[in-house]
Amino acid sequence: MGQPADGRNILLVDDDRALRLALSALLKGAGHLVDTAGDGPEALALLEDRRFDIVLLDIGLPSMNGLDVLARARALAAPPLVIMMTADDTSETLLESVRRQAYRYLRKPFPPSTIIDVVNDAVGPATALSFEVVSARPEWLELVAPCTLEMVERIQSFVMHLDAQLPEDVREAVAQAFRELLTNAIEWGGKFDPNRKVRISCVRAKKMLFYRIQDPGEGFDIDGLRHAAISNPVDDPIRHLIVREQKGLRPGGFGLAMTRSLVDELIYNESRNEVIFVKYLE
Amino acid sequence: MTPRMRISEEQNGDVTILRLTGRLELEDGDLMFRDAVNRLVAAGHVKIVLDFKDITRIDSAGIGMLVSKYLSARQRGGTIKLLHLTQHSDHLMDITRLGTVFEIYDDEGAALGSFGADSEQESGIRTQESGLDQE
Repeated sequence: MGQPADGRNILLVDDDRALRLALSALLKGAGHLVDTAGDGPEALALLEDRRFDIVLLDIGLPSMNGLDVLARARALAAPPLVIMMTADDTSETLLESVRRQAYRYLRKPFPPSTIIDVVNDAVGPATALSFEVVSARPEWLELVAPCTLEMVERIQSFVMHLDAQLPEDVREAVAQAFRELLTNAIEWGGKFDPNRKVRISCVRAKKMLFYRIQDPGEGFDIDGLRHAAISNPVDDPIRHLIVREQKGLRPGGFGLAMTRSLVDELIYNESRNEVIFVKYLE
Repeated sequence: MTPRMRISEEQNGDVTILRLTGRLELEDGDLMFRDAVNRLVAAGHVKIVLDFKDITRIDSAGIGMLVSKYLSARQRGGTIKLLHLTQHSDHLMDITRLGTVFEIYDDEGAALGSFGADSEQESGIRTQESGLDQE
């Protein structure tokens, strides 16, 4: 039987046989080709024998840790995208996965639809989706990443795992603000050009969260943002959409207005190609 | 990126309910949503209720598309009303002041019934105008 046009070659590695069977059936049902392994050495033998697009990799494997399998998989000539799956919720494990260029990180248990969504997101060669890890400490995560929309989802998922212990309303506010500002940086500053880079720092202090995003663009004049909702009069919250239509811009422009309301401090540098936002913790 | 939006459509009289599931975000649901509303509006189905109960995430691009399609429906004599906003979506509507633009309902019957009220109101206005003409 031929592989579906959008099906991927997936290697599923987990020592839990029941989970292997369930996930394998789910992924095959979604049109993917799936091989399975129950431990690290078996997985490495398969990876050396044939090419896989994606590896779904448990971390707590017998005989060889999943993080070591990740490092070996990423060292292959044509490395697969590796999605880590673990019940280990320590930030150290997450950050080690980031350092070793895991594609995504899923905390068990997860709903079945999540694995399908993440696999569907995982497109393109792994080398094009690499980022530079400047710092991977729980208190200070700093990455330099190519300006692609895929990076927004990927980096946000790592950052939000680090923020997992925060109250839900704080997490949602921070996630939304981070996503809006990172998308702005990658879209307007980086023009979705994978050869241009965005630098992201996430600092966790005892009483505050601090995020800094530096884009490769020339910045902008905030007084010239007539296409953004922050320029609207109080009684007309959608006026900027007319300006956007005249300029041929996609519908939107609510990002800054939303972010201002979601965080405690939003500060740009002089040219406005670098922004920090702060959320204070009670 | 594969869109994670799913849209189901129900017709209730001349009102169409679109039930949105998943994300309404930049290149992840926004275009699918745009196409669904464009199809309805082109076919003359301009009274639309959007059920947000199963929307998991929405960003500024998604909100922008929502407003853009609201304006499209308005230009054709219809409107878009919102139903079952999640707490987070409701908060976003509040901070963007779009609560003053959209009619928002928690009850589906009330959302559907509001179109009848609109029609009666419009009918009432027309009756008044006719009365003036007769004078």
